[in-house]
Amino acid sequence: MAVSGWFVGLVALGILPVLVFGNGLALAGWLVFVLLVAVIDISFAGSPRLVTLGRELPARIRLGESATSVLTITNTGRRTLRGTVRDGWQPSAGAAPTRASIAIPVGERRAVRTTLTPFRRGERRAEHVTIRSFGPLGLVARQATRTESSVLRVLPPFSSRKHLPSRLARLRELDGATSVQVRGQGTEFDSIREYVRGDDVRSIDWRATARSDPSSAAGQQLMVRTWRPERDRRVVIVIDSGRTSAARIANEPRIDTAFESSLLLAALATRAGDRVDTIVFDRRIRGRVQGAAGPELLSRMVDTMATIQPELIEMDWASVPALVRTVTSHRALVVLMTSIDAPGASRGLLSVLPQLTRTHLVVVASVADPGVIAATRDRGDRTAVYRAAAAERALLDTARVSAAIRQLGADVVTGAPTDLPPAVADRYIALKRAGRL
Amino acid sequence: MTTITPTIRQGLRRSLFWIGAVVLLLLVALGALAAIGGVTPTTPLSPENAATDGTRAVAEVLRQQGVDVQVTDSLDATTQAVIDPSATTIVMHDPDAILDAGQLDTLAGLATRLVLIDPGFAVLQELAPGIRSAGAPSDDPLEAACPAAAPSPTVSSGGTAYRTTESGAETCLLSRSDGVPDAYSLVRVDRDGTAVWVLGATAALTNGEVLDHDNAAFALTLLGEAPRLVWYLPSAADAATPDIQDITPGWLTPAIALLVATLLAAVLWRGRRFGPLIVENLPVTVRASETMEGRARLYQSSSARLRAIDAIRVGTIGRLATRCGLGSAASVDEVIAAVVAAVGGVEHDIRSILLDEIPETDAALVRLSARLAELETSVAASARR
Repeated sequence: MAVSGWFVGLVALGILPVLVFGNGLALAGWLVFVLLVAVIDISFAGSPRLVTLGRELPARIRLGESATSVLTITNTGRRTLRGTVRDGWQPSAGAAPTRASIAIPVGERRAVRTTLTPFRRGERRAEHVTIRSFGPLGLVARQATRTESSVLRVLPPFSSRKHLPSRLARLRELDGATSVQVRGQGTEFDSIREYVRGDDVRSIDWRATARSDPSSAAGQQLMVRTWRPERDRRVVIVIDSGRTSAARIANEPRIDTAFESSLLLAALATRAGDRVDTIVFDRRIRGRVQGAAGPELLSRMVDTMATIQPELIEMDWASVPALVRTVTSHRALVVLMTSIDAPGASRGLLSVLPQLTRTHLVVVASVADPGVIAATRDRGDRTAVYRAAAAERALLDTARVSAAIRQLGADVVTGAPTDLPPAVADRYIALKRAGRL
Repeated sequence: MTTITPTIRQGLRRSLFWIGAVVLLLLVALGALAAIGGVTPTTPLSPENAATDGTRAVAEVLRQQGVDVQVTDSLDATTQAVIDPSATTIVMHDPDAILDAGQLDTLAGLATRLVLIDPGFAVLQELAPGIRSAGAPSDDPLEAACPAAAPSPTVSSGGTAYRTTESGAETCLLSRSDGVPDAYSLVRVDRDGTAVWVLGATAALTNGEVLDHDNAAFALTLLGEAPRLVWYLPSAADAATPDIQDITPGWLTPAIALLVATLLAAVLWRGRRFGPLIVENLPVTVRASETMEGRARLYQSSSARLRAIDAIRVGTIGRLATRCGLGSAASVDEVIAAVVAAVGGVEHDIRSILLDEIPETDAALVRLSARLAELETSVAASARR
């Protein structure tokens, strides 16, 4: 049951008979009349229960994009259904419009289109559909809510993919395909071929030259070694989903920046021929992508990451070495996506780093707050100076933790939320160039 | 796909318990109300009022003594209650001065004995013009010396005392301590064959004080002489003012009722929710810079000037060392020397900025931090040259 504004107006219209007749009988008569009209109206309203519902929508979209959800309503009742429909999406699904007016003749079907622009990643749900069916006079309505569950999986935006082409170009420069092959730009021996003009003279292999057949048509040839970047290395990305990853920097949670960095790094590494494994961990494994390669890797990664939200518990660093060991026992590039804000909070990380650096190459990636650096420059008044002092203290803390991490043999990459993903990718390329993987 | 809105029948069945509970509660409340017998009136000097300022005790004792006590609230009811005028006492208490002169005249003719409790000026003027109010009596007990109060030597003070100039008046309950003893709390005058008693000692009748002194005997003697006692408390029914219904137009009440009905309809219109709420777990929002802000406020509230400037100095020295091409392991002295070489100036001054000066006030702190920023800017400028 629901009434419309017209019904309220009709009740208020009773002032006319009351004024004309000036007694209580007129009022009672009018109210009875209104009630009678309402009963007649509602008895001619179509049943909101006798409908068949269906919803069509894409299974997944990226954050920032829009999708259209189509709700089909089939009238299986005996009277025309006219009124309003509300498609019950969660608020963060960004549904618009949330209400639509419908008029469905008996036995026919109509579509209600809703544009969804989610503003949060994860699974956005629609729980139910509410139909309010008015009578022919539009005064009184029957209302019913039907459960009609749908799920739209909103994937991380991967906005850092704009950095991918430039990084891939730099990766190709390392490859044997380009003419400039300088020893040390990759350490894997590829082949020996004849010298052509333009080759680096430092890459001439004199032994091979000596061994070459002087009786061939071209006479004795200078032979050069070619190198190519190492391939089939392992990259293990460990993303901290503990309490510190919930903090927002420049209105983006740390974990989202970590996802962006991981996606760019994984896209780059899988193109370079390395194998990428990703683990999202706090005290238990929240998500794990292992043994995927190529385009499948990225789609599986975003799918896994879509639903993971930070938990307000402390990261269990002590079990990370064992976790990495379950992925690979060989040397690997281990990228730890975490935060290095305070010496106290990073104690767990520092205590397990020696175990990791003994066998692996470890890079710690952390988001730096651009607001803190900006705060150190503001010395306007008393409050600003104290803020600058606190910001300097925060930077010093980060610097101390970074120094400790470097002392333990690991590498540190920091950057603002927009700068961290390309910075991690650059560090990967630099390590690859140096042949340290 | 199921419908979760209950049908009318399901809704009724689901709320059956609550409907039953409310009905049961109403029944219990009504039953309890009936058992208690309603609320006793709290009107002062009412024979139905059991509180300390009521007179129920006197009325009940009179009933036990065989006096037929009737309580009325209008002149018509009083007229009907009087069967035999010569064998009836009427007690009248009209604190709100409801009765007009004509009604008082009628009242005086109803019975041969009329007791006016604490009458106002208008009542005295009409029924006993020779009696005037003399203010409150003294606090001492009143001396009873008259046939009406024969067995009671003293009665509680309180209420009003009266003086009389009428020759045939019988005075009683003398208030003694007023210098000239001429104020009485009980005066009797005769008016056309009706004995009118003007009683000012109201305290003597109340439940609270009826057992003090000889109040009980006094009250019973005064009120219990005739076999029938009509206790008349004038109410709004006697008022001559026009009824509010006579001056309102006929449409006003239905219009107000219509307004209420419209409001109810509007409540239904806007209050009916379009389907249930859809719940969603939202992530916590924690700004990462909150620790920094908190620390800044701590520094400021505790005026930790030296600690604050030290943090800025350490950061500045680190950046200056990088600018001047020194490693992070460079000592402060080396940095100072490099800065002097880069920007010139006196070494003592720069050392004072970077190391020695202790800011004593917040103003000094702001000045010092500004000079540190200046130094940093000038070193950067000289490195660019």
